[in-house]
Amino acid sequence: MPFRLLNSRMVEARVVPGQRMFSQRGAMLAYKGDVSFTPSITGGQGGVMGMIGRRIANEATPLMTVEGDGTVMFGHGGHHIHVIELNGETLYVEADRLLAFDGSLQQGTMFMGSQGGVMGMVRGQVTGQGLFTTTLKGKGDVAVMAHGGFIELPITPQRPVHVDPQAYVAHRGDVRNKLSTAIGWREMIGRGSGEAFQLELSGQGTVYVQASEEKL
Amino acid sequence: MNGPVIHDANTLPVDDNVNPYAFSVDLDGQWFLQKGKMIAYYGRIEFHGIGHGYLDALIRTSFHSPMHAADWVVAEGRGKMLLADRSFDVNSYDLEDGNLTVRSGNLLAFQPSLSLKQSIIPGFLTLIGTGKFVAASNGPVVFAEPPIRVAPQALVGWADCPSPCHHYDHQYLRGVLGGVRAWTGFGGTSGEEHQFEFVGAGTVLLQSTEQLMEEIPTGETPEQDGVPHASPHNQPSMPRMPGQLGDLQRRFGL
Repeated sequence: MPFRLLNSRMVEARVVPGQRMFSQRGAMLAYKGDVSFTPSITGGQGGVMGMIGRRIANEATPLMTVEGDGTVMFGHGGHHIHVIELNGETLYVEADRLLAFDGSLQQGTMFMGSQGGVMGMVRGQVTGQGLFTTTLKGKGDVAVMAHGGFIELPITPQRPVHVDPQAYVAHRGDVRNKLSTAIGWREMIGRGSGEAFQLELSGQGTVYVQASEEKL
Repeated sequence: MNGPVIHDANTLPVDDNVNPYAFSVDLDGQWFLQKGKMIAYYGRIEFHGIGHGYLDALIRTSFHSPMHAADWVVAEGRGKMLLADRSFDVNSYDLEDGNLTVRSGNLLAFQPSLSLKQSIIPGFLTLIGTGKFVAASNGPVVFAEPPIRVAPQALVGWADCPSPCHHYDHQYLRGVLGGVRAWTGFGGTSGEEHQFEFVGAGTVLLQSTEQLMEEIPTGETPEQDGVPHASPHNQPSMPRMPGQLGDLQRRFGL
């Protein structure tokens, strides 16, 4: 467990020799020991091809590589931080919500259309996430940021979860998501409830929601 | 969570936090406040600007620099007084025959038993002595022990340890690839090339974000050889005047 929460907005990470860590650029608050911060030209893993993929997918958030021997404290913009421990599952998260993650995790990008087809793409537009999202897979820890506190909602096959697309932060596990709409004549004349779009997540896993509808 | 807790003069905490964003002072005598940080009070408390009448003596005993005393107010009387600052996290600290240097904008209030001095480092103030003071930070404060290197924006202050020095880290700009990077700018910067380095025994106070609080002017230093000067950047030529004449006012004893 390399990450330890110091308070709701600051996380301490242990860096050991031979293990890399990625973090958002400029998110280091302090460090002890011998640690170096190198801007990652490719913005993460997968070499140049990975970089091109992320550039096209617009998931290329400026990352840096953290290496050395010591402890590093991370925090960014006063956002709340949650540490998610992955044990082989896949985490789906927007790249700009990633504060730091283990270098042992496999980083990838996913096309929204591959889950839910056209509605998946519409969903990407509605939530402002674009058509792609970042995936992290493997065994390791991820520190994710949110505006406002974190709420963790379990998803079970019998109980799908509906989430406001703006409050959605990330999800993990074997989860299908689709955008459900409740657009009626009220929305057409501008007297809607403001909750016309909802994200329906079903399957087995967890969804993380922030206590705010503000984007990062 | 049950609704808001309702306080009255008796149930308000004694020299303690009401919530993370507000601090209650049990006043019996004097406290010094930065202007505009009192949000409510019970009892009989009077607020005076420093620098006129009998309060002029405070400049000699507690402020030591007539130049920034205009930004401070004396609260005098008996009662409970609430302090807050733009919903930033507020904490109180006890000094026991110690010293603590803090970013000027973060200091809210202090007991008269402490004396406030300009730090040699521009933009910082040093408190010396025994007593309590209240400081704000953007996000909760984390205490760390040296040796540590801190991003400049995350630093709130430090106690007992020697003043920090600058540390520059451009390790990744070495070698052939580093040369190309430095020359073309390709790959960008990590944003972590410059830190404050702390060594020795003491405590370093960090805030949880890299968003700074607005600085208040700490006053000019005498134009002398050997005296480090604040850059014009953090020393506005006009003193801050919230609705009044600031320094001029003090000078004329208004």
